Formats: sequence, structure tokens, C-alpha cells
Amino acid sequence: MLRPYEAVYIFDAGLEDPAINERLDRFHALLGSPSDLKVDHWGRRQLAYPIGRKEQGYYVVAKYNADGKALPEYERALRLEEGLIRYLITLHDRELGAPEMTEEQLAAANARRDDDDDDEE
Amino acid sequence: MRRPQRSCPFCETRVHFIDYKDDRTLGRFITDHGKILPSRLSGTCARHQRQLATAIKRARFLALLPYIRGLQG
Repeated sequence: MLRPYEAVYIFDAGLEDPAINERLDRFHALLGSPSDLKVDHWGRRQLAYPIGRKEQGYYVVAKYNADGKALPEYERALRLEEGLIRYLITLHDRELGAPEMTEEQLAAANARRDDDDDDEE
Repeated sequence: MRRPQRSCPFCETRVHFIDYKDDRTLGRFITDHGKILPSRLSGTCARHQRQLATAIKRARFLALLPYIRGLQG
């Protein structure tokens, strides 16, 4: 059965971009190269705390539908990968974060926030 | 004494499920030391507070938020 997953990878910031893409391709090939794969590169950013000796990481967020049976082998590959500092795979069966607002709703929300600010003064 | 009713900041923005990747939002719900802010201070409703706790823990694992901060060690 296919289920939607979201994976966050933290690569060693010292890796070159082609090396990261090559690894991503290899990981996703283990899942049967999902057709609905969406990859979002956040790029290099500061880690909130050092992991090992590393202060920076290259963040990549991937969303895909995959069969749960393919996951153990894929995760094994992730664990063995030296250039990967950390990864997190979560079920993504619901939309996260605030819903997209139309212009009107946004304006209304901003107006409401301004009102709140007035109250505090 | 009854504490004043606060409205849940997530309900107000109509967030259904809290995003663990949004460290800027989550960062508002931790103390200076990095502890999760209790709902009595943030006004978060029970449903969102449960989600928030999970989201912050996930964000910590991904080094988006610190486990501890501001302590010498």
C-alpha cells in the first residue's frame, strides 16, 4: 500500500551539490523512484547545536508516496551513508502549518492583529 | 484564582496540524533555556499543545531548535 511520507535529510555541509544530488537519487531509487517525488533544498544552515564536530548542515526535504515494505532497506542505506548527519522520516498524511489564506483573509487577520496590539498599549 | 482566558494562537491562525519544520513559529513556544512553554503561559489549547510538544521534539532532533540553551556546560 502506498502511503505519503516526508523525509528530512541533513547532509554534511562540506559535500558538493552534485554529490548530494547523487546520494538523493540513490536513496530514492531504493523506493522505486516515486513519480510524485518532491524535493525541496533548504541549503546550508547553522545547526542549533553541534552534532559530532559539525556546526552546519545541508537540509533537504523530500515528499513522496512509497510502499512501507520498501522503507527498511531505504533506511538501512540512510544509516550507512557517511555524508548524512541525520534524517527523519514521518508520515505526511495531513497538511502541516497554516492553510493558505486568500488576500481578504490575510488582510482581515492583519487587521485583527493590529487591534490586538492596540489593546496591549 | 482564575487565570485570564487566552485564545490559542494556532486556532486563531487556523492551523490544523503544526509543522515541525517551522522553527520560527516553534521558537516562540520555548523558554530562554529551550524548555517547552506550558500552555498556561502561551494560551495554547490542549489539542495544539499536544501537537506542539511533538513538533518541538522533532525540530530538536533535526537541530532546528536547541535542546538546551543559555546554560554553561
